[in-house]
Amino acid sequence: MIARDRNWLLVFAVCVGLTIVYPFIADGYQLTVIRDALIFGLFAASLDFFWGRTGILCFGHAAFFGIGGYIMALVTLNDAIPFASLLGMMGAVTGAAFVAAIIGYFLFFGGIRGSYFTIVTLAMGVICQQAAVSWSSVTGGDSGLIGIPPIEFDVGGTHLDLSQDLPSYIFVSAIVAVVVLALWSISRGRWGTVLTAIQDNEVRAAALGHNAPLRLLVTFVLSAAIAGLAGALYVCMAGLVAPDLSGLLLSTEVIVWVAVGGRGTLLGPVLGAIFIQRAQQTISSFNPSLWPLLLGCVFVVIVFVLPDGILSIYARLKALLKGRRRAS
Amino acid sequence: MSDVLLQAENVGIRFGGLQALEALNLTVRDKELCCIIGPNGAGKSTFLNVLTGTLRPTSGSVRFLGHDIAGLPLHRIARLGIARKFQIPSVFPSLSVEDNLKVARWGVPSPVRPVGDLLELVALGNRAATLAGELAHGQKQWLEIGMALAIEPKLLLLDEPTAGMTPQETLATAEMLLRLKGEFSIVAVEHDIRFVRALNCETLVLHQGRRLRSGPFHDIETDEMVRDVYLGRR
Repeated sequence: MIARDRNWLLVFAVCVGLTIVYPFIADGYQLTVIRDALIFGLFAASLDFFWGRTGILCFGHAAFFGIGGYIMALVTLNDAIPFASLLGMMGAVTGAAFVAAIIGYFLFFGGIRGSYFTIVTLAMGVICQQAAVSWSSVTGGDSGLIGIPPIEFDVGGTHLDLSQDLPSYIFVSAIVAVVVLALWSISRGRWGTVLTAIQDNEVRAAALGHNAPLRLLVTFVLSAAIAGLAGALYVCMAGLVAPDLSGLLLSTEVIVWVAVGGRGTLLGPVLGAIFIQRAQQTISSFNPSLWPLLLGCVFVVIVFVLPDGILSIYARLKALLKGRRRAS
Repeated sequence: MSDVLLQAENVGIRFGGLQALEALNLTVRDKELCCIIGPNGAGKSTFLNVLTGTLRPTSGSVRFLGHDIAGLPLHRIARLGIARKFQIPSVFPSLSVEDNLKVARWGVPSPVRPVGDLLELVALGNRAATLAGELAHGQKQWLEIGMALAIEPKLLLLDEPTAGMTPQETLATAEMLLRLKGEFSIVAVEHDIRFVRALNCETLVLHQGRRLRSGPFHDIETDEMVRDVYLGRR
């Protein structure tokens, strides 16, 4: 247990180190690529916080990403609202959390678990995307909303303008690092242990005095809030918001990122998101139709060969070598 | 009668056309130990499920310290002070033995007994870091009893605590319960006569959902009717 915590912190420190060093060796474009990948990494970590600890798969997590994105867009595009960036982010987080609370309340207290939960959240994602397309007077319909301004803050008299590559890269990296560290400390402590217990045997946990549905609900709401934050950050960096951001494709992709990176590790999904998006860009530039095929194959291989994700390669190799030594 | 902890009155339950329980009464006083026995299908587990509030009786009532507990959410019942050990060992396999007890402990507002003491009590002091899923069957049963104790109950309900145990383990379990007697009330549903004999307490015999006999165990053991039922003569 202790060794696992130490290893996690070690990997985390290495990742933070790489993030700090990267601006010195990369140009502006490469920085923005990693910055956007990190935002999706944050999104993946938010899904992992729920899926990894409860074992319940949400197949419509992009709905929260999209809700966050649209709220941020609507707030910052409205000139009448002061402190638009800050209020927009707060609104995005609250909005996503609110929707998750309502849906989650009925699902968790209604005893919906496992694949039924997955199916309902799948429908939720589709509904969100459809709403974004149909409610065109507010959401801009199919083409979405464009011209979303970059994030700017006034902190203690100094003006923080994130329209440039480097400041926005630093801002996003810092948020991702802080949130991932916070989620990790929550999930390794008492909260996470009880969630693992609920995953193992919910009736037993309840018979010991734990309000299992409430605990699952709070975890789900927190997870959705962070997905909303990621959505808000993304639309400001991209400058536009579109119905795709709450769609089924993104919901599927984020599941693949988490599965590839390693469910339950929080850091793995962030790396998985960066790694897969880089691979996608490289392979798509080579042949666009090759990517979905490859992604599918990689997913199948991961599920069969490395069910705990790429971060488990080291542990697997060690176990394999140990076994071989014992055999010889 | 202020020392009455649990009172089941005229409890009946019907599943469709099957009258599973009929007109059962049980009074458990503070710090009392009692057993419910009966052949397979007598309704022992169903009765226990009613006593823990997980099944709502179709007639009659179950009151714990004056509260009607039928249909309350499980965690509320636990917080009232009713601990339960399930028939199938229900531990958390992916947590360590110590974490299993801690999870149980975190469910109560102000625990008194330290987790270390609990580990010793259920004879798992040297297995604290072991994953509960890797324990032997009997040890899982004990761990679950330990988890039930961790919530510091007023009433402990045990559903076949010795199922699948070796005769030695069964007797050790009976000794453990006798040591705990006097701290809180215990109701054990059992199949194993050796275990009940070792406990030697007030016993309720169920047969086909009804009360067949009740009284001290030595009276029950010598009862012709009980023997007939157990030997399948009726």
